[in-house]
Amino acid sequence: MADELAPGDQATVLAGEKASFQTVSRLREQLGLNRAWPIRYGEFVTKAARFDFGNSYYGTKEPVNKVIAKNLPMTMTIAFLAISLAALIGITLGTLSGSNENKPQDRAILILSTLGVTIPTFVLSPIFVIICTQNLDLLPGQWKTTRVAPDIFYLIMPILVLAARPTAQITRLCRASIIEALQQEYTKLAVAKGVSRARLIFKHALRNAILPVTTSIGSNFGILLTGSFIVEQAFLLPGIGREAIEAIQKGDTPLIQATTLLAGAMFVLVNLAVDLIVPWLDPRVREAQV
Amino acid sequence: MKPGQKPKAKRWLFYFGAGYLILLVVLALSTPLFKYQYADKVGAVLLPPSGQYWFGTDQQGRDVFTRVIFGARMSLFIGLSVQMLCLILGVLVGVGSSMGPKWLQQLLQRITDAMFAFPDILLAILIIGVWPRSLMGDGILPVIVALTITSWPAVARIVKNQVASLKDREFIQSTMALGAPMPYVVFKHLLPQLWGLLLAITMVDLAGTILAESSLSFLGIGITPPLPSWGSMINDGRGYINSNPMLLLWPCLVLSLTIFSLNFVGDALREMTDPRSK
Repeated sequence: MADELAPGDQATVLAGEKASFQTVSRLREQLGLNRAWPIRYGEFVTKAARFDFGNSYYGTKEPVNKVIAKNLPMTMTIAFLAISLAALIGITLGTLSGSNENKPQDRAILILSTLGVTIPTFVLSPIFVIICTQNLDLLPGQWKTTRVAPDIFYLIMPILVLAARPTAQITRLCRASIIEALQQEYTKLAVAKGVSRARLIFKHALRNAILPVTTSIGSNFGILLTGSFIVEQAFLLPGIGREAIEAIQKGDTPLIQATTLLAGAMFVLVNLAVDLIVPWLDPRVREAQV
Repeated sequence: MKPGQKPKAKRWLFYFGAGYLILLVVLALSTPLFKYQYADKVGAVLLPPSGQYWFGTDQQGRDVFTRVIFGARMSLFIGLSVQMLCLILGVLVGVGSSMGPKWLQQLLQRITDAMFAFPDILLAILIIGVWPRSLMGDGILPVIVALTITSWPAVARIVKNQVASLKDREFIQSTMALGAPMPYVVFKHLLPQLWGLLLAITMVDLAGTILAESSLSFLGIGITPPLPSWGSMINDGRGYINSNPMLLLWPCLVLSLTIFSLNFVGDALREMTDPRSK
């Protein structure tokens, strides 16, 4: 990856300021930094294909795989719980709002979702902390190594904060799609046929509105991945994002490579899943493919 | 639709946003007149807001109001630099991929599409991650480069779509039929049609850039302290959430209001310039 192109030599940093030239060059040889970057890149790709990312430069020089294995479950848990929550709440609120256009509940949801889109994740997390842990004393503020409550209590706040932005985006999109679907000819026909209001909204409008919403979940997952970097930092959760930031601050190249590759892979996988779900939901796409 | 014809609430939001932004810019430009500079220690630490220190003082005894305004200066500087670079790159690539020779069109199109495949800030984090330690400096240059690379494709795509639809219009076709050279057509006839829309988009994108810069600084990989940035001020303030929540409040408030205002003003401008986005 691009990391290999970075001219900054980690050997000089690692050996320390007072290291002799010999120590530095020995270290450089050990790490394989003395070879040209195309060779190192080729090696990285072939090794990465076998899920071998080498060892971390710092601490106990643990294999990167182990570091990832330790941190991946946390990121996976909060990312997938948050995106599910965002889809669930977003579609519910969006439908409620879109089918009651310009009524008070629509206005309220619209204001809330505008706030959700504009307030940054790292502003939202201290607000949640102040409300939930300082004033209400409801939830633990951050991840602790010695836990007194079940894991889920530590995860509620991070997941809510992480889900806020995607929820707001999905709500707005779903509202717009429902409004558009309700103006189509087929809904007018359904009304003329005497279809009940509930059936009209769920069977006719939502069934059509759900398609762009499903597609948007893919791009929202990207927003969410970035958010997970911030949330993990804010709530001190042991996840990929926090590991990646620490690696960048220390210049731990193997770890930077592995974590960013992994985050990118998760993004691609979710978008692939979305692409597979869409034809299942939309017979028009399904037929176009056959 | 002009702002005058809009519902009342929306008009108020537009005026509020515009007023707030003007105030912020004026304050940010007048920092040389301030009593303190961003790194000046005034003595006592963690003072509550008072007549002398409007927003109180922080954990190192620096005036928080001064730092918030210097933070605005930093955010606006980085945001505007990035948007300026994005505008230049985006217009060049956008025009190139709709008016250039076929091979260039294909090439630029592929590059733009490839850029969209990355989740936005993740790419910026990666770019800063590979930036050589020794050339990091105060972190301003890496942040500007990283955010420019991640945000130009959006501009390029919009310019490309607009130019593609404009170039089949009669006034362009007839100018070209008269034998006008390509640069003349682009600069005299095509781009003047786009400035309004581009201004509106830049406003909204500026909000995204300021947010991204703050996120990077919050994570500790953006602007290097002691230079002030809203993101790092929020990160510092988190440590005093029990004892002095005001320290956290000010940068959060100013940042959120800025993002808000840019979005509202940008949307209003877009509605004025782009009839389709009603």
